[in-house]
Amino acid sequence: MSLLQISEPGGRPVRRTDRKRAAGIDLGTTNSLIATDVNGEVRTLADADSAHLLPSAVHYRADGATTVGAAAKAQAAADPANVIVSVKRALGKSLDELEDSGDYRQYRFDSECEPGSPAFVTAAGVRNPVEVSADILKTLVQRAEARTGEAVEGAVITVPAYFNDAQRQQTRHAAELAGIRVLRLLNEPTAAAVAYGLDTQEQGNIIVFDLGGGTFDVSLLSLRKGVFEVLATGGDTALGGDDFDKAVAGWLADQCGLGGMDSIAARDYPAMLQAANRAREALSEAEQAELSWNGSSFTLSAAEFAELAAPLVRRTMLACRRVLRDARMETGAIDNVLLVGGATRMPLIRRAVADYFGREPLQDIDPDRVVAIGAGIQAEVLAGNKPAGDFLLLDVNPLSLGIETMGELVEKIIHRNTSIPVSKSQEFTTFKDGQTAMALHVVQGERELVGECRSLARFSLRGIPPMVAGAAKVKVTFQVDADGLLSVSAEEASTGRKAEVQVKPSYGLDLDQVEQMLKDSHEHARADMSARALREARLEATRLMEAIGAALEVDGELLETAERAAIDQALHALRQAMAEENAARIEERTEQLNHASEGFAERRMNMTVGAALRGESIDAIDERTE
Amino acid sequence: MLSIADNYFSQFELPVGYDIDLDRLNGQFRELQTIVHPDRYAAAEDEQRLQAIKLSSYLNEAYETLKSPLRRAGYLLQMQGVDIEQVEQSDLDPELLFEQLRLRESLAELPKDESALERLEELHHATSAKLAQRQREFADFLAEASLGQARKLFHELQFLTKLQAEIEKAEDAIV
Repeated sequence: MSLLQISEPGGRPVRRTDRKRAAGIDLGTTNSLIATDVNGEVRTLADADSAHLLPSAVHYRADGATTVGAAAKAQAAADPANVIVSVKRALGKSLDELEDSGDYRQYRFDSECEPGSPAFVTAAGVRNPVEVSADILKTLVQRAEARTGEAVEGAVITVPAYFNDAQRQQTRHAAELAGIRVLRLLNEPTAAAVAYGLDTQEQGNIIVFDLGGGTFDVSLLSLRKGVFEVLATGGDTALGGDDFDKAVAGWLADQCGLGGMDSIAARDYPAMLQAANRAREALSEAEQAELSWNGSSFTLSAAEFAELAAPLVRRTMLACRRVLRDARMETGAIDNVLLVGGATRMPLIRRAVADYFGREPLQDIDPDRVVAIGAGIQAEVLAGNKPAGDFLLLDVNPLSLGIETMGELVEKIIHRNTSIPVSKSQEFTTFKDGQTAMALHVVQGERELVGECRSLARFSLRGIPPMVAGAAKVKVTFQVDADGLLSVSAEEASTGRKAEVQVKPSYGLDLDQVEQMLKDSHEHARADMSARALREARLEATRLMEAIGAALEVDGELLETAERAAIDQALHALRQAMAEENAARIEERTEQLNHASEGFAERRMNMTVGAALRGESIDAIDERTE
Repeated sequence: MLSIADNYFSQFELPVGYDIDLDRLNGQFRELQTIVHPDRYAAAEDEQRLQAIKLSSYLNEAYETLKSPLRRAGYLLQMQGVDIEQVEQSDLDPELLFEQLRLRESLAELPKDESALERLEELHHATSAKLAQRQREFADFLAEASLGQARKLFHELQFLTKLQAEIEKAEDAIV
């Protein structure tokens, strides 16, 4: 359940003491930054080479030495197994998840480690993702201490809004391992909004459009009287500036007559991507860019690039649309749009964002640095160097919670993006006569079939008094607290019997799964609908057949031979249809059976409950007469 | 921490009625949430924390109920003692059922690709307009205490809201 836990830990009490050196850290997938107060203004700090961005790469060398940043990244091609990159994606994941993701194919994992806490085998020894992250954090803090000449006493570290509990905990552990006191973990989009000073505004709806090197996040924040609320988040974990480079590289391959990307030799590919990247960046400033490859020279115009990039831009816009829809908001309700991530420097992205939201995005602050700056400002507040505002973040749960019902369908109880804490109850009923126990299976996800959501827990409710199908009322209550922890209880209304389960954080979903599940739900919505239709048709047919079977046993003598034969034939036809995967046919034959049994139903009805219920279908009558 | 009012409207110091000042609702909600949110009791005793969770959940529920036009309508009827769970046959006019059937069929018959988007958009607009109209009528019936009529309209609002969700789902499946 930890995935629900996107709440930002509550602000710690701020003691007014002497000025303390505090810093904001953006621990990114591709690059990391640190920001601190410089002469009264929070700024990111550069290294000795004037580079503000520290590549999130760590090289564990055979001589036992560790290098972090550009130097490590430069060794990635030569020593892939020992240069750990994109470690952020590994935080809070199990070994299976890392192996299945495909992101970490170049590494060897320690066979000794627990499946729940994988570690890389490097030339310098075994390192887990927390340790690798700690090495990056240490390098950043050392940079700050070297530049300011003071010890960093506390830091605000940013995390994606949808980071789960395990991911947040590991980020915190990495900081502790690096000897940093964590003042608070802050959501990245919130940090961006703080950097723009939007937290001091009376109110507003803010879109944070964050297109990094390899990931795309879009968040909708609502701000009112100092209260930040994450209304919705979305995006694509496999979309970033790199994909635009790949599109350009593909174009270049075409121009060279290489006939597409597949025919590029693997060793040529990195160089081709670099050429593509240079061209893409040049196009941020100019109307055209020159590329050369194997002695030939090519010109890529901004218009051609726009065409290559169009499918990618469209994907970002679809994610924006989805987030707005999740929050039930129109573009006109958006007051500010913030750009985060280096890839938002592309003019075509800025234009697309401005067109879609009907307003110019804020872009005064360097999109690579804005998150670190916001974190730095918040660190100043929490360290007591600046007065604290009335800062409270209200959160939402990012994935729907539901319960398995008959036919492996999911009955959603708490929909995604519902404000937490939240408590919701729903009544369920028994399916069979005399049913005394009920198994409840709690799942998380957007899909309509149980098998395609993530199982959270199973529990059973026993001691339901035997009643006719549909008479027992089982009230199931889901409670999600502000930390995102779920508890589920169930109670039978007439007897008050209770069962309860606490969902443990080990069930937390990882980011990729969330994304994948959302993506799947999106891609398979149609398949779901037809699968659901089939299950419902089967369920309905089963109900009717059982009802008629029971009725025949009791009142079979009411029937003429011909009527009985017609019902038997319809029953047979329906049974045959049940064996096939055709919902329409099952429905049609269910209807035929209904029709064949109408006269029978009417007679039973007249006999047992009188004319009051005339017009009801046979199964409904059956339930009431038993 | 917070005293629980008789109903959700007075909890947020709003007049009881279908037409609602959403800005005021938002403002009141956040003000109260700032007081009871569990983050404010991070260091408090378990009992107080539990109380904060309960109150904060209650506020979220109250807020979501009043914010949603459909849930607000149902809540107002329930405040008047109207049972909205049971649908009487007489609540549903044949014309209404027929129209809903027709709309659903036209939705189901649309192609499952981008060529349907324009039609979906039209359906969406038409349904929104209809919803808005029925909401106004609902507000009027409620104001003059014609509860039977209001209840009938509530069921129609349910149909329309569900239809709207299905149109959106169909759009999502395409884009």
